[in-house]
Amino acid sequence: MKAWQRNGILLAALLAFGATRLPLEKSLGDELRKGGLAPPPLEIGTRDKIGQTSSAVALGGLRTLVATFLNLRAFSFFQEQRWDDVSDTFEMIVDLAPRTRYYWETGSWHSAYNAASYYINNSNMPSLRRKEAWRAAIYRGRAFLERGIRNNPSDWSLLSTLGFMLTDANKFPAFRDPDATFTAAADAYQKAVDTGNAPAFVNRAQFYALARAKGREKEALALARALYADPKNRLPTLRALLLVLEAHENPALDTAKLAVELFETPERALEALSGHWQRTRERFPVDGVAGALGALEKMLAVPPEKSILNKPLQLPNGPDQWFSK
Amino acid sequence: MSSTTQPIARGSHFNRILVIAGHAFTQLVRMKVFYFLAVFAVIAIASNFFDLPQHEGPESIGMNVLRSIKSWSLGTMTLFSVVLSIVATALLLPKDVEDRTLYTILAKPVPRIDYLAGKLLGVLILVFVSLAMMDVLMTVVLQIRSSMILTQQVAMAQSQGWPQDAIESLRAETAQHGPNWALQGAVFAVFLRASIMASLALLISTFSTSTLFTTIISFLIYFIGHFQADARDAYLQAGQAGEGVFARMAALVFSLVLPDFQNFNVIDAVIEGQAMPLMVLVKLSLIGLYYAVFFTIASWFVFAEKEF
Repeated sequence: MKAWQRNGILLAALLAFGATRLPLEKSLGDELRKGGLAPPPLEIGTRDKIGQTSSAVALGGLRTLVATFLNLRAFSFFQEQRWDDVSDTFEMIVDLAPRTRYYWETGSWHSAYNAASYYINNSNMPSLRRKEAWRAAIYRGRAFLERGIRNNPSDWSLLSTLGFMLTDANKFPAFRDPDATFTAAADAYQKAVDTGNAPAFVNRAQFYALARAKGREKEALALARALYADPKNRLPTLRALLLVLEAHENPALDTAKLAVELFETPERALEALSGHWQRTRERFPVDGVAGALGALEKMLAVPPEKSILNKPLQLPNGPDQWFSK
Repeated sequence: MSSTTQPIARGSHFNRILVIAGHAFTQLVRMKVFYFLAVFAVIAIASNFFDLPQHEGPESIGMNVLRSIKSWSLGTMTLFSVVLSIVATALLLPKDVEDRTLYTILAKPVPRIDYLAGKLLGVLILVFVSLAMMDVLMTVVLQIRSSMILTQQVAMAQSQGWPQDAIESLRAETAQHGPNWALQGAVFAVFLRASIMASLALLISTFSTSTLFTTIISFLIYFIGHFQADARDAYLQAGQAGEGVFARMAALVFSLVLPDFQNFNVIDAVIEGQAMPLMVLVKLSLIGLYYAVFFTIASWFVFAEKEF
């Protein structure tokens, strides 16, 4: 056989082999993508940013390894407080490893917590700019986390982290509408509970968020009663909020009597409700609490000078204070 | 003819292939390739120390370290297996020519397909044994570390009064990142990808004139193989992006000639803690076998009439 004949046959065989395997590989590829086992194609922007060598390594089937290297680089940027670089690096990391919860949570945490705190304390910038940078960092952290949730809708931890961020007293003042923020937090916690994998505290956290959203009191009361039915959930915050919501539902309620029922003794009721009264930064509702405290103090013969109602409340200590100078 | 060579000459294809494979394996082992395992051990142990003090909720303490161990280990396995399968295969034929072993073998009644299959099998056994040893090391490191993490997590959960079902859920979640069957499947997928590369390097080495040429072309095909699926999709979705006929034909030829390695990226999903269904592994194995058989037959087709 002549060389050109042999090469021709080889080429034809190669093409025929390709034609037979093409549909098999395509169907397997589709199956893997459908099952979330194949990562989406790497963005061209990411290929450019990570450089040619890393790009080649990533395209050589080592995406998660490149993501690990980039995580180390992001940590260096974090130590140097280069927030834009941290953010850009995490954008690349999640493009390489979109199913890794840790990267979404860490990227969001760097922005919404570390960068935001940095702007609160950075005295080199004018207060207005600091405030806007602080707000933007929190918004970016939230958006990043929400993108992580869209990529991993069944991950309870990402949903719970979003709920936590939106109910954090140092974060929610960044958002214009507190009720919408608390509602979004409650929804995130609800979705986390719906995954079936979330621990019990997530259900309570959902209630704590819902109790703060104006207009959702009935729903919150129903949830509080359901949670209270399980003795493991009877934590001081839940008991106090159950009292508040009952008082909101029925303003004529004898809150002191209910407080003793819920907390078992007047002393415990006074201590827990005093704590609740003082937690002003978290914006928990306090319907009926003042009345209950007054009645309990009278019951326990607390002198007026020691009354919690006569003590000054904790200052709000929010953005207005942080950025006043 | 000596009594020891008679059974080989008269024996079945399978026996001859095994003898040649054993010889190729020994030949490669003498090149001290297993020294690489010491490097791997250092990497597997060092990956334990990338526990960055970053954000971690109490329920995910140490999870990043487990991912780091898997990522570094499987990454090293991939690099090692691909480099070894390409370089070892590229080296075998020229070395046999240089040592004149090839003339001795082909002078005997040994079919050339047996010789090629034996050489390929020798390389594959070497890659398999190396990967198996690395896998054992990775599994041990991962097992020790995941047990430590699990102990910490359970202690944390119990101190916070988590109910038993929540603790079990946490345990199951951590187990996904520890040593499991999906991880063993991922190591096997690494082996399958290396097998395809070895058989492809064998085909190239049958018409190549130098080891260097075979190595370079094989590595190029390896990297381009990760884009093959893009070319295939470009051909199948032809017209939607307004490509011309020439672009479509180029995409078609590209996808027919080059292997598709994107499906093997399922390894990344396993590193991220996802389970690999057995059927996926079976399909990958069939595809790997299909490639290996075709490339070996194609190698024989070229090698059969080669003059030495």
